[in-house]
Amino acid sequence: MSVVIETHELTKVYEAGFGGVDVLGLKDLNLAIHSGEIFGYLGPNGSGKTTTIKLLLGLIFPTSGSIKILGRKDIGSAAIRRKIGYLPEGAYYPDFLRGEEVLQFYGQLYGLRGKDLGSRIDNVLEVVGMTHARRRLVRGYSKGMRQRIGMAQALLSDPDILILDEPTTGLDPIARKEIRDILADLRDQGKTLLISSHELLEVELISNRVGILSEGVLQTCGTIDELLTNRDVLIHVETPPAAALEKLTNAGVEVEDRVAGKVILHVPDKLSVYQALEICRSENVALTSVAPRRETLEELFVRVIGDAQKQEELP
Amino acid sequence: MSAETPEVVAVPGPEPLASRFSWAEFVAYFRGSWTIGKYTWREGMRKKTLIGFLILSILVIFGSSFMTAFLTQTTVGDAMVDIEAKLIKDICITTISIFGVLITIFISASVVPAEIENKVIYTVLSKPVRRGQYLFGKFIGIQLIVILNLALMGGLFFMALYAKQHILPTLLLWSIFLTYFEFLVVSAFTFAFACASTSSVVPTIAGLFIYITGHLTEYLKDVYNRAGQTENPLDILIGKIAIGLWHVLPNLQNFSLRHHILYLQPNDPPRDVLFPNLIAYGLVYAVCGYLIAYLVFFRREL
Repeated sequence: MSVVIETHELTKVYEAGFGGVDVLGLKDLNLAIHSGEIFGYLGPNGSGKTTTIKLLLGLIFPTSGSIKILGRKDIGSAAIRRKIGYLPEGAYYPDFLRGEEVLQFYGQLYGLRGKDLGSRIDNVLEVVGMTHARRRLVRGYSKGMRQRIGMAQALLSDPDILILDEPTTGLDPIARKEIRDILADLRDQGKTLLISSHELLEVELISNRVGILSEGVLQTCGTIDELLTNRDVLIHVETPPAAALEKLTNAGVEVEDRVAGKVILHVPDKLSVYQALEICRSENVALTSVAPRRETLEELFVRVIGDAQKQEELP
Repeated sequence: MSAETPEVVAVPGPEPLASRFSWAEFVAYFRGSWTIGKYTWREGMRKKTLIGFLILSILVIFGSSFMTAFLTQTTVGDAMVDIEAKLIKDICITTISIFGVLITIFISASVVPAEIENKVIYTVLSKPVRRGQYLFGKFIGIQLIVILNLALMGGLFFMALYAKQHILPTLLLWSIFLTYFEFLVVSAFTFAFACASTSSVVPTIAGLFIYITGHLTEYLKDVYNRAGQTENPLDILIGKIAIGLWHVLPNLQNFSLRHHILYLQPNDPPRDVLFPNLIAYGLVYAVCGYLIAYLVFFRREL
């Protein structure tokens, strides 16, 4: 797979005015996003996600380092912008316009006119499932519909790259699922997606790779499988007798939860699962299931950010 | 994840100030600006503050005809009509000046900061739109709003005056034409401040300052003349600064035909007014203001 977005030692320092302190937005970012993948770009507020996106779009300028998009360095040029669709977080679309009028405005900025523009609008409205509401005023749209119109404007030029800032934030579960399905379809069409989000579950569900950013530094980056390792095992058993439970806890097994006559035992990765199972067998504890538990993206995120903050606090 | 090392480390910067255009690109450039201008106009005309100013000004202009009914009838015939017409003229000219400039400043100060706040600017500038194209479109949109408002207020004034005197007040049309150039200058400089701001407060204050100082520049010449009468070095320095400012600041009084309208017949030609010179004067200042806006916005981090 070819590299579509590439940054090398990309650094952005926001210079403060008179007497102020400069703020580091991004530090030595080395990123390579491949063609046809969904890249989840994660980080807490102020970690540098939006700074990266603005740099990629040429809305702000780097302090040092370089960016290549589709092998080109003329970031912010019309040729590059035609290849990128961008959905900003919480963007506003004028209330007094109809859905299709919003798209006409953005389409005209691509130089589209007449039938070309009309057919392109028909196409993107169909992709985002908004054909039925195209003649309704934006003021009558739900949050999910506004977000889908936002997706439609990002897709107008049939771009190779889509940069989406918080595409599912604030949406209800059904709207989230719909947006997720649209994103998966776009990936299947071969588009490259860079998704900046706080919705870790959403990102985990659709991303091929993720990068976690903290304090302007990329802390970790890799495929979901590389980053989310199996860390421990859960054993579901019928409520064991007190003696059996004592033996298990003495062996280091933790009681994770008790639900309706059943107990979920948590076996930390440093402990032998066989040892726990042997105790259960010898004490006649009825097993329901034994399952490895993979670390969630949320757990990884909290761990990585926590480690980064600890590192920051070190003298 | 480490990317493959690029062979050249280049720092991307803003688009070049000027690049060679083909005719097709030139047309596309203005089409893009026109699209943004139309959108700015459509959105601007829906701003509640602007509509409020407009309604208020129309009410005052419309009401000026009725206010004359409360005049004490101490004179008869043509003399009474003249007093009534003078009152209407006075009220309408003042209304157009005040509300017109408020609308101009409000709209010039708010369009760019508002788009930064609601993030529309990001969706627009992520399209193949140059910053200059965006800025020009915004400026076109502002001018469309200013022209429409001026035409509405001027049109009502025209009708009120015609209804009173039954003479086509052609002089008024010349006055409104020149008033537009006054507003154009104020608009361009307010717009320049707006391009450097994230809120519309500072540009609004700056716009009002430009309008007020633009009407007081004649006093600067007085200061210079009086400063020359003493030998005090401080007075001389103040005088030099005053004359320097007099040369630099736009004299917005030049665009006023108030006295012509008040004391000449409505269909008299505007005497002693060099229209081409005044238009050139207004355009030069407007271009300067716009260029400042462009230079500020060109390197601005959004």
